Amino acid sequence: MQLGVVIGTATSTVKHKTFQGERLLVVQLLTSEGGDDGEPVLAFDRLGAGRGETVMLTNDGKILQEMIGRDTPGRWSVLGLPNI
Amino acid sequence: MRIAEVIGKVVLSRAHPSLKGARFVIAAPMPKEALVAGSRLRGEEVIAYDDLGASPGDRIGLSEGGEAANPFGKDVKPVDAYCACLIDQIHCS
Repeated sequence: MQLGVVIGTATSTVKHKTFQGERLLVVQLLTSEGGDDGEPVLAFDRLGAGRGETVMLTNDGKILQEMIGRDTPGRWSVLGLPNI
Repeated sequence: MRIAEVIGKVVLSRAHPSLKGARFVIAAPMPKEALVAGSRLRGEEVIAYDDLGASPGDRIGLSEGGEAANPFGKDVKPVDAYCACLIDQIHCS
């Protein structure tokens, strides 16, 4: 799991079927020192995280596959909203 | 899944049999500066398998690694980059 900051949201109509009805956030992952870690990623969010919030993400595809479908090409999903 | 801008297409003259008729796009990953401040900066290009009909200029969700082969299930293909969605809008700040 890793912390990240929500820097935006993304909308998409033409997409893989397992994305139907899912909310996509644009999240900048953070290193342990709080710096940027790589390019921003698209993460699935069912917890209603807002822009600017810090979120806890998992890159365990299995969790996402159980949530939205075994053949999903997605990986990152929001696991929790830590109050830091 | 990173966000990438499609900058071109790839047509294969000869390919692995399981990739017959496949479409490939050239996707340039977008760093934070590009998403938030509109900079022209892009990451290293990746060739992604595309089922959705992405064309140059589109922004896509670029799935990489093991997940990129998930959509094919048992029909194993040598694919490690996959265009998972065409992005309509991004609201970044």
